[in-house]
Amino acid sequence: MKCPRCVQRIHRAAASCPHCGFSIVEADALFGAQGLRLRRLTDTAGILRHGDREQVEAALGRITRRLPQLFAAVYTGALGEAANIRQFGFWLLNRATFEDVPPDQRNDAGILITLDPESKTAGMVFGYQLDAFLEESDSFDCLSRAHAYWLEERYADGFVKALSHLECVLCKRSRQARRHPKHFHQKVSAPVMPGARAFHHPPGNPLAVGKITEGPP
Amino acid sequence: MRGWQAAMGGAVWLAAAAASAQEVPLPTWNEAERAAGLVDGALLTADAAPAAGEPLDLAPPTAEESAASETPAPGIPEKFWAAYFGERPRKFLIDPQGVLSANDARERLGFLNYHAGDSAIDLFVYVFKGDQEIPAELRAEEMAERFFASGRPAAIVWYFQGSPQRAALHLSPALTDAVAAAEQRRALESSIMQALEKENPSAQLEAFLVQMSIRIYWMEQLWGGGAAAATPAAAEVKLPKKPDQKAVLLAKLQPLLDKARRFALPAAGTAGALVVAGLVAAGLRLRARFRLPVLEVEPRLGGDHAAGAGAVISFASANLALASQREQRSDDPRRT
Repeated sequence: MKCPRCVQRIHRAAASCPHCGFSIVEADALFGAQGLRLRRLTDTAGILRHGDREQVEAALGRITRRLPQLFAAVYTGALGEAANIRQFGFWLLNRATFEDVPPDQRNDAGILITLDPESKTAGMVFGYQLDAFLEESDSFDCLSRAHAYWLEERYADGFVKALSHLECVLCKRSRQARRHPKHFHQKVSAPVMPGARAFHHPPGNPLAVGKITEGPP
Repeated sequence: MRGWQAAMGGAVWLAAAAASAQEVPLPTWNEAERAAGLVDGALLTADAAPAAGEPLDLAPPTAEESAASETPAPGIPEKFWAAYFGERPRKFLIDPQGVLSANDARERLGFLNYHAGDSAIDLFVYVFKGDQEIPAELRAEEMAERFFASGRPAAIVWYFQGSPQRAALHLSPALTDAVAAAEQRRALESSIMQALEKENPSAQLEAFLVQMSIRIYWMEQLWGGGAAAATPAAAEVKLPKKPDQKAVLLAKLQPLLDKARRFALPAAGTAGALVVAGLVAAGLRLRARFRLPVLEVEPRLGGDHAAGAGAVISFASANLALASQREQRSDDPRRT
């Protein structure tokens, strides 16, 4: 987990970045504190034609169909010289409401791709529910699939490629999580303190989920 | 003294020579005997001719010779007569006794089928054991007349496995007038010669049939042209190589083609089933739904839904290599 501004590692539950002090408050100061309503595909930059939009929406729909817990969104817009696309993505996923996403589905389960055609940068952010299942390298691989298309300004093709790869990665993670749930649980759970007895099963219910206890039982 | 002895020796030698000349008189015969054909070595002198009733001074026969002379040549068992000679054969290879191995029979039949497809004259081959005798009451000409008078013209070969020199060739009535007996004999002889060049009985039959097939090609030319004259003798040495090689090659490939035909349907069925199974599996995979376990994550940086960030890339220039962007930096790539 890295800070959107300084890209330094931050510890769990950090209220602000211990390195640069960045938090949502600073992002609100940059982009605005009021919420905004978007659709899963928001082309503020106007770089997608009608046919292109259909392609991208189909790719977005496919992810939701195969992974019903999750949704993906695409935002294109010119951010200006002062803006940082990494911070903007972080702010947008926290503050936006997606109109065409079921209301019971929170942004924690969202994956957002932002693209600035002026600065020619693109980034990906994802909600807390995906913390254990997506890594920075996964998001880089997804964007890499689109790179060649975006170089030629074939934006829709790039989005479709990136989303297809994202779908594959998430399906793979789902299978892995079914086989090795502990592995993913450990990624987001608190570290075991020295001297602690890990994963002690409560007596009388050996199949119940264990809890971490410290010291001898 | 010495001169007297020499004169006596010469006289003795002359006397002995004169006596020996008188003891062996030369044979003489008159014109009547010559006309009666008792010449050319058939006329015996009275001294050389054995007297009637006088036993000849010959070596007694060995035990094997005696046994061979007492054992008659085996005939074809009667139970196979109907299969051999009862009706016009439905296949080109007639071997009810199973003289040929299954593999050989399949290969030879494949070749005969190929020949039938390539020639206007069918070739029917009756296979017997090498030492078997055809029933005396059976006449080949009568059989050819009875079974092969109608339908496509046919060449009928009686082949004795392992004894190709005993093979016999008969033609259906439609061909007998068009193909001279000399040509038939040449066809049979050249086929036998080809067969005798091989040692293995199976290879002998193969060589025999290939050569016979070629010769039937020539017969076909005669029959089609309506010319009854025999092909020139030179044809035997000027046989075209191309049909020969083609026939041999196809004869070798025929078992493979037969196998391919035999396994084509099951293979196609299996392949079809695999394709359908693959499509069903692919369809199921596409329709599969995936779930991720919901894990409790403590919020960070004050974000209600997300914190931290994934990757950022720049596509401003193709010169900015993608690999160099893998290591994320603190600001946008455009500024680094």
